[in-house]
Amino acid sequence: MSCEPFSPELLEQAMIYLLSATVGSFVLAPLLIKLLYKLNITRRNEFDFTLRSSERSSKIGTPIMGGILVIFVVTIITLIFNWERKYTFVPIGVMGISAMLGAADDLLNIFGKKRRFRSIEHVKTLMRIHKSWQTRLWYKITLPLTYLKNFIGAFGSHPGRGVLVHEKLFFQLLAGSVTAWWIYAKLGGDWRSLWVPYDGQINLGWLIIPLVILLVMFTANAVNIADGLDGLAGGSLLFTFLGLTLISWIEGRVAFTLLNATVVGTLIAYTYFNIKPARFQMGDVGSLGLGALLAINVIAINKTILLPIIGFIFYLEAFSVVIQVFFRRVFGRRFFKMAPLHHHFEFHGWSEEKIVMRFWLIHAFFVFVAVWLSFH
Amino acid sequence: MNMLSPAAEQKIDEFFNLPFDDLKGVRCPYFNNARINRRGQLRGLIGRGSPKEIVEEAKILSIQYHKDIFDHTGHCHLGGENETATVTECIRRFLIDNNLGIDCAGFVSHVLINHFKETNNFNLARHFNFENKNFFRRLINHLRPIENMSVLTYSQDSNTILIANGTQNTDWQKIMPADLIIMMETGPKLNRNHILLITDNDGQTIRYVHSRAWSSEGQYGHGITRGEIIINNPTKNLLEQQWLEKNQTGIANETFLEAKNAKTLEIRRIKL
Repeated sequence: MSCEPFSPELLEQAMIYLLSATVGSFVLAPLLIKLLYKLNITRRNEFDFTLRSSERSSKIGTPIMGGILVIFVVTIITLIFNWERKYTFVPIGVMGISAMLGAADDLLNIFGKKRRFRSIEHVKTLMRIHKSWQTRLWYKITLPLTYLKNFIGAFGSHPGRGVLVHEKLFFQLLAGSVTAWWIYAKLGGDWRSLWVPYDGQINLGWLIIPLVILLVMFTANAVNIADGLDGLAGGSLLFTFLGLTLISWIEGRVAFTLLNATVVGTLIAYTYFNIKPARFQMGDVGSLGLGALLAINVIAINKTILLPIIGFIFYLEAFSVVIQVFFRRVFGRRFFKMAPLHHHFEFHGWSEEKIVMRFWLIHAFFVFVAVWLSFH
Repeated sequence: MNMLSPAAEQKIDEFFNLPFDDLKGVRCPYFNNARINRRGQLRGLIGRGSPKEIVEEAKILSIQYHKDIFDHTGHCHLGGENETATVTECIRRFLIDNNLGIDCAGFVSHVLINHFKETNNFNLARHFNFENKNFFRRLINHLRPIENMSVLTYSQDSNTILIANGTQNTDWQKIMPADLIIMMETGPKLNRNHILLITDNDGQTIRYVHSRAWSSEGQYGHGITRGEIIINNPTKNLLEQQWLEKNQTGIANETFLEAKNAKTLEIRRIKL
């Protein structure tokens, strides 16, 4: 459904969604915090190596999975007031898939047992010496998978209790594939073209499918990576979805204007409780879910090319990890003192508040750049 | 020229006094990655890092794992001004407990790269021949030369020229700074290689420096060490001379013992 660009009625409606979501989230947040404490879903020192640095040890005992607040409120409001099979069904569905993956990761990180991660050398040894010939055969058959796990594992952090990197990527591939199918098969021919500022459209045809999968996976992980300091991901997402609301409103895309406004409303309440000292933290449930939703919404309003600009800080953080891993593995040296980028500044002695606020401001600037570019 | 270049001497000095802020005298420990076999890691974590990289890894490990030895600015939290010796020892123990240090070939590589860069404008790492035909291994060698410059590669004719065989009589005047004493297949199980870097030779004494671990020094005594070979019997071979290191001679000097047990003992010079 669409309407006239710059429609005052649509803007008024969006404000109602935004304010309702804010009020609803403010009411629910204290209840969620109590529930998370009761279920003991909190950060623990022994499961989280980043807490071992002295400045971060104050975070021990803070509830995680606070992102449920945003996912829950956005889903409920959209299901009741903004449900359109063509437009909001898939974004909410993919956000749900990603959020469930994140929730599994969060819960396993707290309550799960340490996951076994066998190296290639270990599996090769077992292939030779295991007493059961069936097991030896099984290891031989699954050797390519072991290589894949080890290769992907090299780009992740230390295997712990949560979902392993290759498992996470599999589910994100699924979420990306659903989005790609929706964009390619359901939204029509216009979405197979890539909008380029000043230059019109580039028809990508079927190539839009791998591009969408890649962007959904990368953006979900990028938001997840940026969620490392109190208020950083929440505040940055607030600016991003505000920008998306503006762009959707300017273009008269009703469903997406309302959906983005709802996300902004919930993020206001979420960030209020998330700024230092945080009452709760987003957790993978929120960061993966909102990351996927961000990518889908940008693609769905046909502004794919703006994604790295409107999600600037997330992409910057994600690329800092890519560069760090590349330098570590290829040259055997560090590019940053520590990755993601916010940890690098922490090692330089910047306070958490200073990093978060400066990152917010830089991010806000790029969101406005994206809004400005969307006019062309 | 009877001395190593100033840049090489400075590098050796950095290994003897790791560049921690406001703290002198932390001697770099010995660490050989064969013990824990880390692969594809930072060179500072596999016994091949420069002094600066070793210090940086120590600081990061201290902050990351809440050891409270260094703060964000790099200043050490331990002890007072009058406790320098204790602090130095404490940091050395921290380095050793966290597998930070340098192995013999890594140390020699860092020093020689600096030496030849200054004296000959020659990039040793770039011109080192790893004699590998596999494309990927060659690519890795090209990208991470110091990690792949082993004692074995130093002993190859494509990289070094044989100056003297350690078990044969030698013209001692021929030996120059930056020459290498290479021991192949030594140690208790004859499965280790070792390399010493000659720092100067005045005709009567050959001085060397190396990274090593003596079993008699226990868990925390090892590291970069200087030693000398006093030419008492010029007409005899290297093993017939007096090896002096940490006031130990004869078989109490474990470097001499390693040289004695080595299947091959050679003095070699980098091929330019």
